[in-house]
Amino acid sequence: MKPTSRLGLLVLLAPAIALYAFAVLIPLLGTFAFSFTRWNGLGSPQWAGLANYLRAVRDDIFLSTFWHVGVYVALTLVLEVLVGLCLAGWISARRRGGSFYRVALFIPVMLPAVVVAVLWRAVYNADFGLVNSTLAAVGLESWQQVWLGQASTALIAISIVSGWVFAGFFMAIFLAAFGRLPSDVLESARLDGAGELRLFWQVKVPMIREVMTIAILLCVTGGIQGFDLFYVMTNGGPYHSTEVPTTYLVKTVFRDQEVGYGSAMAVIVTVVGLLIALGLVRLRRREGATVEY
Amino acid sequence: MAALRSRLAFHGVIGIYALLCLIPLIWMVLSVFKPTGEILQHPLALPTAFDLGVFGDAWQAGSLGRYVINSIIVTFASTMFILVAGSMAAFALSRLRFAGDRIMLAFLAAGLLLPIQAYFIAQNQLFEAVGIKDTRWALIVPYAAMGLPIATFLMKSYMDSLPRELFEAARIDGASDLRIYRSLIVPIIRPAMVTVAIFSALSAWNEFLLALLYVQNDSLKTIPTGLLAFSDRYSTDYQLLFAALTIITIPMIAIYVAFNRQIVKGLTDGSVKG
Repeated sequence: MKPTSRLGLLVLLAPAIALYAFAVLIPLLGTFAFSFTRWNGLGSPQWAGLANYLRAVRDDIFLSTFWHVGVYVALTLVLEVLVGLCLAGWISARRRGGSFYRVALFIPVMLPAVVVAVLWRAVYNADFGLVNSTLAAVGLESWQQVWLGQASTALIAISIVSGWVFAGFFMAIFLAAFGRLPSDVLESARLDGAGELRLFWQVKVPMIREVMTIAILLCVTGGIQGFDLFYVMTNGGPYHSTEVPTTYLVKTVFRDQEVGYGSAMAVIVTVVGLLIALGLVRLRRREGATVEY
Repeated sequence: MAALRSRLAFHGVIGIYALLCLIPLIWMVLSVFKPTGEILQHPLALPTAFDLGVFGDAWQAGSLGRYVINSIIVTFASTMFILVAGSMAAFALSRLRFAGDRIMLAFLAAGLLLPIQAYFIAQNQLFEAVGIKDTRWALIVPYAAMGLPIATFLMKSYMDSLPRELFEAARIDGASDLRIYRSLIVPIIRPAMVTVAIFSALSAWNEFLLALLYVQNDSLKTIPTGLLAFSDRYSTDYQLLFAALTIITIPMIAIYVAFNRQIVKGLTDGSVKG
């Protein structure tokens, strides 16, 4: 349809465009522009050319954030997506008795990440935390650790919290997808004598491949942007062993006042993140739609 | 026999998993009723008395009421803006042809992928320059803006699925675009609006990074930053901390359990269909 009047069209579009331009597009261009300057955020910025970018690719801490986030994403793919898939598969294979788990396992998704992080800081507390005191109660004192205070366990400990929150979220996504599968296909596979386990891996999972790819995309892009749990539980420590891109960006810009350098790192992180996301989206296109969403 | 065994296996494995997941929350609630000394000495012991007074203490000491009010204001304002501006733009993009509509759609799609790191540094400088840092606008504005692309996209696809005749009939009756929006679109897309409202409100309610960076004034903090300030202030009073966590957690769980179908659908649609 053609708009009835130009003014009407303007009224419809202006609020969204104006707000998005002001709060996102202008800052997006600004961050890109800052990345070529040396600036503490107060005086006038000085042109620095590519100096910030050259510094970033030689900054060992910055480079290590990609490694940490890679480990985190790999662990959460298992703890969130794979666990969520198995939970959904098992619950959906049963006619009854799953609704309590459906509701209960989604609860952590609702809670603010800060609340989750503060709670789990207590759960991991070396002296009175739930983990160590349970280990003591069952006679496994030697397994006790300072979970968030040592480089060897901190990143894994945070990933487990992330799994605690989001396994239920991915379960819900997969349950919805399984619920949309045509029941005649499943019935005929059952009649052909396929057990529930084979039905799951060889029929149901391939049929929701599209939703799988979306779930992986969400997990990966969400992981690269991870901040809340890391900031509250370790703030990148100990010794930068859980430093992820966003915690390092925040330190660089808001503690060290290095707006230019932080912007350059932000541009790199954004480009890397978008390339990964686009790669996954293309993979999803190439595989083709097996079940329409 | 086999059916019984498979039922036992199911409830055994998934039941234990669910219990493990709920234990931190149960531990949190039980610890509220133990003095801090008892929490430190016997972290696994059950409380001996249930004194609800500690909730009042935590509410008072942490001025939690202020944080809750701030969260409600910020969440409500940004969600309302998303619903109004998003549905108007979605209507224009779905039903009207105009110069630049394809470019706008492309921007919308790009907005779905854009991570917050891409713009928050300059956003901070901009908000500083226009003087809205340390006001509620510093949160309402970015929350509304960040929520717009996905909200517009969802409401647009909902309108795309409606029959064309509906709009054309209204047009033939002589209704202007704004009139069609007001009296036809708004009532008809209510289901999509509910979905959008749920995930927009929840992401504003839970947002932390921008709240941490843009609002230092304690009287304007929202629940996430307020709770963090609380946990720094009372870093050794664990009973009070658990009480504060419980005060924030339990109402959210109660609301969730009451509306779990809509909420799960809202949150999964909000992320999957984007």
